[in-house]
Amino acid sequence: MTRFAWLQARSQTLIVAGLLAILAVLAAVTGVQLAHLYSSLVAPCRASGADCGFAMDRFISHDSFLQGSLQLLQRLAPAIIGAFWGAPLVARELETGTSRLVWTQTVTRRRWLLSKVAVVGLASAVAAGVLSLTVTWWFRSLDQISGTQFGDFDARGVVPIGYTLAAFAFGVLAGVLIRRTVPAMAASIAAFVFARIAVQQWVRPHLLPPRHLTSSLLKADGFGFISQGGGPLDLVVKGSGPPGSWVLSSQLVDHAGHATTTAQRMAFLHKYCPFLPTPTARPKDRVHIGPADDQNFRTCQQAASRAYHVALTYQPKARYWPFQWLEAGVFVLLAAAALAGCYWVVTRRLAS
Amino acid sequence: MTAVQATGLGKRYGRRWALSDCTLSIPSGRVVGLVGPNGAGKTTLLHLASGLIEPTSGQIDVLGDQPGSAPDALARVGFLAQESPVYARLTVAQHLQMGRWLNPAWDDGFAARRLDELDLDPRRRAGTLSGGQRAQLALTLAVAKRPELLLLDEPVASLDPLARRDFLSTLMEVVATREVSIVLSSHLIADLERVCDYLVVLVAGRVALVGDVEELLAAHCRLSGPRRDAADLPAGQIVIEASHVDRQSTLIVRTDGPVLDPAWSVTPLTLEDLVLAYLRRARDDGAERSSDALAVSR
Repeated sequence: MTRFAWLQARSQTLIVAGLLAILAVLAAVTGVQLAHLYSSLVAPCRASGADCGFAMDRFISHDSFLQGSLQLLQRLAPAIIGAFWGAPLVARELETGTSRLVWTQTVTRRRWLLSKVAVVGLASAVAAGVLSLTVTWWFRSLDQISGTQFGDFDARGVVPIGYTLAAFAFGVLAGVLIRRTVPAMAASIAAFVFARIAVQQWVRPHLLPPRHLTSSLLKADGFGFISQGGGPLDLVVKGSGPPGSWVLSSQLVDHAGHATTTAQRMAFLHKYCPFLPTPTARPKDRVHIGPADDQNFRTCQQAASRAYHVALTYQPKARYWPFQWLEAGVFVLLAAAALAGCYWVVTRRLAS
Repeated sequence: MTAVQATGLGKRYGRRWALSDCTLSIPSGRVVGLVGPNGAGKTTLLHLASGLIEPTSGQIDVLGDQPGSAPDALARVGFLAQESPVYARLTVAQHLQMGRWLNPAWDDGFAARRLDELDLDPRRRAGTLSGGQRAQLALTLAVAKRPELLLLDEPVASLDPLARRDFLSTLMEVVATREVSIVLSSHLIADLERVCDYLVVLVAGRVALVGDVEELLAAHCRLSGPRRDAADLPAGQIVIEASHVDRQSTLIVRTDGPVLDPAWSVTPLTLEDLVLAYLRRARDDGAERSSDALAVSR
């Protein structure tokens, strides 16, 4: 049965293999250029310890079309595979009636389903792996200079393979439940997008318990005041975690460690920094007062740093790969659950 | 041995019973015609017999075993689904390849020979075949599997008259050369007359008539004569259908002996007349039953 499953999947697999090969060649050529640019432009500058802003900007904006395309392709590929390989896998057979042809050969439905899922599922995983390898390799020097690897977490490494397996399995399940190819394709994409958003929002930050850190306001990445519609000033702080870490939340806390409220901060500024100018903005305008070389600004920052601290929750840099494997594992589990559902429907419900 | 034995067999889809309380026995070694109007439950019965679906109630045995999903049961039964589905994107040769890979008893010689006789280019995609060629390909696949029982669901319903003739000739060749029981469903009696030697008439999920075609024809006749009441026929003559005009009565009767009454002129029935008489009777019975039910509900 595996041979027959391969016979059915052969042309679509070869087409995708061809496209991936073209992409790999393209990526190899441009990737070498990119690496050359890095070693001639960015690396010497960083080694010299000078300000590399200009060199970095030039490097980062190099080939931005290709960068954008690869990022997009990497993120869309699982949904495409789920819709075009997963959804039709069983739905097309049910729709055209060929299920009745193949189910009355001397092969059990169980073997039929397992073979098809194994062949096309494996092809999906390999395709996703090759694509992710290509993209991860192409972006390696760009990723090196970005603040945190977690920024493009979902478009690098092993998670795309997990995504693809889940999208494929959702497609197969949608197909056996809906029994029509086109609606199943739409449903598989919807299910996959929902799973991705849900995991990104509610699961990924908690895959491992986050670490906490309290630091001085003086070390914060950003510090300033904000007023809305000409109202009283509020403090804003952007905390930064250890290098390469993924900051989940950053808030101002008082000495006891309690989160501060807007009202508290406004009262503080009113009391200790009365010298700060209040912007006279039109309603709904947001006016930032930046760190102009203004003695008042520093005085106020000093005062605030004695009253408040920045409390951060973050995931350290070293957790990047554990997180990659954990999130890939979450999606592999989702895929396994969906496929178990397919198995149940095909062997039980479609027979009744 | 019986090819198909059903006892109180029923199949429900949602609230609708596609087949209910069906009890019948189909002998093996015959070419059985399964006739009935659309919606009589023919397809459901064949799907149950092929193991594609499971019964909601009752029991069905095929070749002495429960039909099913186990490889042994699958190997013994060949099935040709309605509209002869094939893989549109695979070639004819790839279909045979599938048969070879998926059936341990596959008869490659037969399949190759049939393809030759049909003059089908093995490189053609099945999606480009005509309806008749597709049906022939599907039949080749089903027969080359070497089943003991071959179930054909309305195989010629969608074919033009010529393709229909060709298909039925192929089927008769198969009957003549291979040891296989065949159950063939159709709503057209004329198709069955040429190939079937046994008949099952199914109406609304129930068996209306069953038996050997020759015996059935021998046991039924049309009586016409001066008008008289159908009730005063001798014992052993059962009226299936009676129609009266003015002074004349025409009866279709089942009789266990020759009709001796000289007042009747006796003519034999064609298979079509016979089946139609039973279909009408079943329909009238059904109408009566539903009007009874109506009366009760009032």
